[in-house]
Amino acid sequence: MHNNKLDILVLLRETSDPRPPARVTTRGAAISDRGLRRVPNPADLAALEEALLLKDNLGARVTVLAIGPERLDDTIRLAFSMGADRGIRFWDHGLEGSDAVADARVLARITKILVPDLVCTGSRMADRGDEPVPALAAAAVGMPCISAAVSFTPKNEWVEAERKSDRGARQTVSAPFPCTVLFEEVRDPRYPSIEAVTQSLNVPIETWDLAQLGLPFWEIGAAGAYLAVADYGVPRPDPVRVVTPDPKLPAFERILSLLSGGIKAREGKLNTLSLDDTAAGILRIFSEEGLLVERA
Amino acid sequence: MMFPNLFSPLKIGTVEVKNRISFQPHLTNFAVDCLPSERHMYYWGERAKGGAGLIITEEMSVHPTDRAYEKLIDVYHAEVLPGFKKITDYVHQYDTKIFAQVNHNGQQCDGMISRLPVWAPSPVPDILFRETPKEMEPEDIEEVARYFHRSAIHVREGGFDGIEIQFGHSSLARQFLSPLTNHRSDEFGGSLENRMRAPLKFISAVRKAVGNDFTLGIRMCADEMIPGGLDLGQVQEIGAIFEASGLIDFMDLSIATFYNLYLVEGSMHTPLGYTIPLAAGMREKLKLPVFCTGRINDPVMAEKVLAAGQADMIGMCRGLICDPFLPKKAFEGRMDDIRYCVADNQGCIGRMGVNKLLGCIQNPAVGLEKEWGEGTLEKAAVKKKVFVVGGGPGGMWAAKMAGRRGHNVTLFDRNEALGGQILTAMKGSGRDEFGVIIRNEKEQVTKAGAQVKLGVEVTTEQVLAEKPDVVIIATGSQPKQYPVGGADGPSVYNVWQVLNGQAQVGEKVCLIDYDGHHRATSTAEFLADQGKTVHIITSSLFVGAELGPTQDLYLSRQRLLKKGVSFTPDIAVMEVGGETGAKNIKGFNVYNNVWDEWGPFDSIVLAMGQKSDDSLYTSLKGKVPELYRIGDSVAPRKVDMAIWEGHKIGREI
Ligand SMILES: Cc1cc2nc3c(=O)[nH]c(=O)nc-3n(C[C@H](O)[C@H](O)[C@H](O)COP(=O)(O)O)c2cc1C
Ligand code: SF4
Repeated sequence: MHNNKLDILVLLRETSDPRPPARVTTRGAAISDRGLRRVPNPADLAALEEALLLKDNLGARVTVLAIGPERLDDTIRLAFSMGADRGIRFWDHGLEGSDAVADARVLARITKILVPDLVCTGSRMADRGDEPVPALAAAAVGMPCISAAVSFTPKNEWVEAERKSDRGARQTVSAPFPCTVLFEEVRDPRYPSIEAVTQSLNVPIETWDLAQLGLPFWEIGAAGAYLAVADYGVPRPDPVRVVTPDPKLPAFERILSLLSGGIKAREGKLNTLSLDDTAAGILRIFSEEGLLVERA
Repeated sequence: MMFPNLFSPLKIGTVEVKNRISFQPHLTNFAVDCLPSERHMYYWGERAKGGAGLIITEEMSVHPTDRAYEKLIDVYHAEVLPGFKKITDYVHQYDTKIFAQVNHNGQQCDGMISRLPVWAPSPVPDILFRETPKEMEPEDIEEVARYFHRSAIHVREGGFDGIEIQFGHSSLARQFLSPLTNHRSDEFGGSLENRMRAPLKFISAVRKAVGNDFTLGIRMCADEMIPGGLDLGQVQEIGAIFEASGLIDFMDLSIATFYNLYLVEGSMHTPLGYTIPLAAGMREKLKLPVFCTGRINDPVMAEKVLAAGQADMIGMCRGLICDPFLPKKAFEGRMDDIRYCVADNQGCIGRMGVNKLLGCIQNPAVGLEKEWGEGTLEKAAVKKKVFVVGGGPGGMWAAKMAGRRGHNVTLFDRNEALGGQILTAMKGSGRDEFGVIIRNEKEQVTKAGAQVKLGVEVTTEQVLAEKPDVVIIATGSQPKQYPVGGADGPSVYNVWQVLNGQAQVGEKVCLIDYDGHHRATSTAEFLADQGKTVHIITSSLFVGAELGPTQDLYLSRQRLLKKGVSFTPDIAVMEVGGETGAKNIKGFNVYNNVWDEWGPFDSIVLAMGQKSDDSLYTSLKGKVPELYRIGDSVAPRKVDMAIWEGHKIGREI
């Protein structure tokens, strides 16, 4: 630890809102941008919050890193407004067509340059789930890596973290500094004040390029990737359930239900009765359904 | 792109289909000497040109005992190969895949054609063909499997991209699967496992013939919809077993049997997309691509079904009979130009049922693609001034075709809207979709450059003063003024007056039906819907005598009965009307000639025939250079002939 102050690097990634359905572009090589809502990955923001809490309580220096095009500056500014101290965005067009191993080289390189005590980010991406890049980068620089962390306590020379284990169990692990911790989405990120947001607009963002990393171009992006994309598509969607004809109905009723403009779900009955009759009616239904046991 | 799902490719077995539109299998009667014909080639070629991703041919016969219709292709004969090659090469030009449907119809066959006994799992006669079959011996089952094998080889060698075995509404395989038609007690009947044995033999025989690198699927009946028959629950189970066998690559679906044929090709009285729940039910249980067919005749609905994951492929049969270019137009976003099928069933099933060549009321080029298909229309050598009088379907077609050929066309109608008699016909109960014919043509007339003049009663003088080169009379017909004694009396109306709201119809109504078609029955329903008590007297054996071929009879009578309409058949009506409160209909039974009287009725509605409106024609005869008459103004018939003649004259002048 330098000057007794933790140096924390938080990786912020963007993800897309998983709710609207994804569409493959006509070329069939990627997801179409249309209708996609890009958002900072929620688990990454939770990791940032965790880092900022450390800063609040123990004093730490929080650097946020985003890898990607200019639009990611917005994410970095959000981090500034929440309290991050330094923001770096790295981008090179050669990164396109990459795979996890090639991406991990980049992250590992940046980690080596910045030499943080802690690398924090989310354990999973909201849109596609697990993402091995931070773990691979940790391996590349020879750091321990704690995944699926739900809480975290720095001790003097090591960290202690609770992580998710089998079937809801929790496991406490410890590791020496420097260390990578991948957080579950356990904390709500703080809500920045208006002043903080305004101020964040003036903080300079460092933009790094490939030359600054000193990585050869053939180690990154498509050139550095081991995987080649052969085919790209969305698996067939799960059916939106329509009520299918109940085979237990007699054939003629099945026909009628088809002819009546599609099959409708069985409807509930609406009775308007006095309070007593309603209560009696409900009791009757409950006992018919075997939900009530009559007491002797 | 308006329809991203519809126009996304799909891998079916070993082939990739460019979009999700399949032109579904259907009989055409185009075969010549039981061989594929040139007509087939141009017919399927036109749909390939029109952008369908997949075409599945009509059912082809795999065995001599399978003779349900006279003009089937006998796929078990090697002579089919040259024809097949021509067809598949032609279709492949347009990047469309083509599968062959092979079938044995089992009990749903006609021994009068084959002069052989009909073969079936059990001696249960079919409701339509009514012939008691021979119970197939195990050797017969083996023989059919062998013939399936041989036929499949021809399919593969003929250049097809895949093969579909009919397990649907009309098939031996379904008859084996269904407890309704399979009463056997040997290894081919009883338990589900036993009932599946013969169908599995057929599938394996075909798989063996085509190899593992060829696409093979079945068209399964998703629900027989008849007491004692297969239902969706059982078919889900059967489908899962077929899938698990690893022998098939896709699951096409159909519905019903010949007991309820009206569900196979649902008419306009059936909701759009009526089989979606069944397809969705099958798809929930299967991983194979599942097809959904049944009144999905527009791309918007098709897209919805795909986006909702209720099917992987959309089957369109009549939609593309009516407009072969629907896929292309949808792809290009030209929704206004799509000619939607109206599910009247008159031209397609209506003609097939009586052994005529396939047709379509809205598409005269069906079966004549070589002569009349896309790209055959030539500009007129001499540009003429053409007057078309009457804006019904015939007049609209004449104006459209003539306009497209570069003539200077004016279309007149005495009403304030185009459509002619369709405007009235679509008011009948449940017949509103018939009005889509007007929507389909109206815009095309102006797009073809024709001028439309509405609210004009064209006179002889006017025509002579304006000196057109060509006059086409399409003035239609009107109900006969005096079809029976007393027709001019009080409280006696014709169906037009009733449907157009020009009649004060009383509570107790008698409708005299000499029509046998929707004109009568939909008017009776229209009145019953208003709470009137309706009785129908007809000269035919039964009410709705003309509704059989279009599959409208069953539901039509069901609705009439539900609405409390009563019937008296076999009566020739001789006189109507008379004193109030008296029996006001007189006539005799056409079989025993006994006279009788019916009544009293408050109102009498006559559906007793139409009379051509030919007055303008007669007075112009000999006075203009070219004079033609089309549609009902020649002789009162149905919309198919009006459009046919309008199309033809538009091409010829
Ligand atoms: C004239 C005609 C003949 C048909 N013949 C067959 C056939 O031989 N085999 C088959 O599987 N389906 C046959 N069908 C059923 C169609 O494939 C399809 O399921 C049905 O028409 C409903 O689809 P649609 O609403 O798109 O027309 C036929 C349909 C029509 C209109
Ligand atoms: S005849 Fe009628 S039902 Fe048949 S395809 Fe044409 S429009 Fe559709």
